[in-house]
Amino acid sequence: MSVIDIVFRLDDICKKYEKYDVEKQRSLKTSSEDAFARLFASFESQIEAALQKSEMAAMETSRAKVVAMNAEVRRVKARLMEEVPKLQKLAQKKVKGITKEELEIRYDLVLALPERIRAIPDGTSSAAKQTGGWGASASKRNIKFDSDGHLGDDFFQQSEESSQFREEYEMRKLKQDQGLDVISEGLDTLKNLAQDMNEELDRQVPLIDEIDTKVDKATSELKNTNVKLKHKITEIRSSQNMCIDIILLCILLGIAAYLYK
Amino acid sequence: MSSDPDKLIAKADKLTKLSLTRWSADWKSATVLYEQAANAFRLSKKHEKAKEAFEKASKGQEMLSSPWDAAKHMESAATVAKELGNWREVADFYRRASELYIECGRSQPASDALAKGARALEDALPEDAVKLYIDACETLEEDGKEQMAFDLYRAAASVYLKLEKYTDAATVLLRWALAADKCNATHSQCKAYLSAIIVYLYAHDFQQAEKCHNDCCQIEAFLNSDQNRCANRLLSAYSDGDVEEIKRVAQSSTISNLDHAIIRHARKLPMGDVTSLKGAAPEEEPLDEDDLT
Repeated sequence: MSVIDIVFRLDDICKKYEKYDVEKQRSLKTSSEDAFARLFASFESQIEAALQKSEMAAMETSRAKVVAMNAEVRRVKARLMEEVPKLQKLAQKKVKGITKEELEIRYDLVLALPERIRAIPDGTSSAAKQTGGWGASASKRNIKFDSDGHLGDDFFQQSEESSQFREEYEMRKLKQDQGLDVISEGLDTLKNLAQDMNEELDRQVPLIDEIDTKVDKATSELKNTNVKLKHKITEIRSSQNMCIDIILLCILLGIAAYLYK
Repeated sequence: MSSDPDKLIAKADKLTKLSLTRWSADWKSATVLYEQAANAFRLSKKHEKAKEAFEKASKGQEMLSSPWDAAKHMESAATVAKELGNWREVADFYRRASELYIECGRSQPASDALAKGARALEDALPEDAVKLYIDACETLEEDGKEQMAFDLYRAAASVYLKLEKYTDAATVLLRWALAADKCNATHSQCKAYLSAIIVYLYAHDFQQAEKCHNDCCQIEAFLNSDQNRCANRLLSAYSDGDVEEIKRVAQSSTISNLDHAIIRHARKLPMGDVTSLKGAAPEEEPLDEDDLT
């Protein structure tokens, strides 16, 4: 027989004995009937997933990833805890086809759920959780400490590391203060210089205004004088004639020099 | 024209001396001759003769009613007199020059002339020097030019400090602050107040210093300034008798920005016994509970 044939035969046999398959029956039943069963099934699957994740977190080496995974697990747990009352209500409802005993069984299951949820490890110390858990769930007004019960005497004892750290911090603060003092002195000097410069400039502004007016006057007088001078010169001898005069004079001097050489 | 200055002088004198043949002096040509002679003397370093020639030239210009030139000649005469070391004459010449400048209506050169005189006399006749400085300041203030007077006040205060006349120095500083106030120079004003307080403390006159400080605090600009904070620290250090604190305040940057003469005095604080001042605070009458006033 080939493999294909074996597979087909297996399928036939399964179909024949389906009614004995408890799992399938249950899932069929739940999908068609029961809100409670559905919710319960989803709960179970979520708890499974959370357990898996916490196992992975325990095996992780990178702290950041561990923290992230633990946070996820905690979120899931919180959500589940919220839904538990809903489940409880559903458990109380009478559904057709379920006996009274089954109802009670369901109710017990629901009660056991919170315990199971809390049991999922999420990176916090579980021992304290057990004791504090009851109180927390009973009255929701207490501030929840992550590690209560461990706040003993030696919790606040300064370890060597922390005291060293504190010393270093103090020293750095001192150095910073010294640096800031130096800066403040420099700024003081700057401020004084700036204010003195300010006053000096204020003093010189009117002086420069005076110079400005005087120079303006002098310039205008100079311009006038230049114009008059130009007029006078052109009056005496127009520029054309002046040039001719100069050239003739040069020629004369040249001739004289030639004659007397 | 002969270049021999003596001959020039003689000629000029002849021109100006009234006699039977001459009814009015010929100042114009005489002044020209005098100026030439004076320059010649100055070049040949004959100070005495140069001084006289300048004086006469100045008189000539006055007669020609040009006070400006007259003042200029007076100043030259004064410079020559300074070389001679003739201090009285220096002071007189500079004063005369300044008066002539005021005649021209120019206050700045007038005060400059007085300041030059004061500077020349600082070492020889400090009292007169400081008087000249103060006159110079007044000349400027009359004309509304207080801004220019700051340097003069500074110089006057430093001369007083050298003379160890501390109350006078403080008075000058307060006048400086007043001038600064008129031209809205708050920084200079506050510095002047702080300097005055320091001068009083240097004279070991704690009460005066306190009074001065109280007066200064009336002025808002001073009240909110760095200098006031410094003054407060100084005075409280004094009243606590804390010498270390006084020295620390004196090293601070606010004081280091004052005039260097003041800084020197501040660094020398405290003068005398500070602890005696602790008990010197006026005793208050014990508060009477039954007294309802």
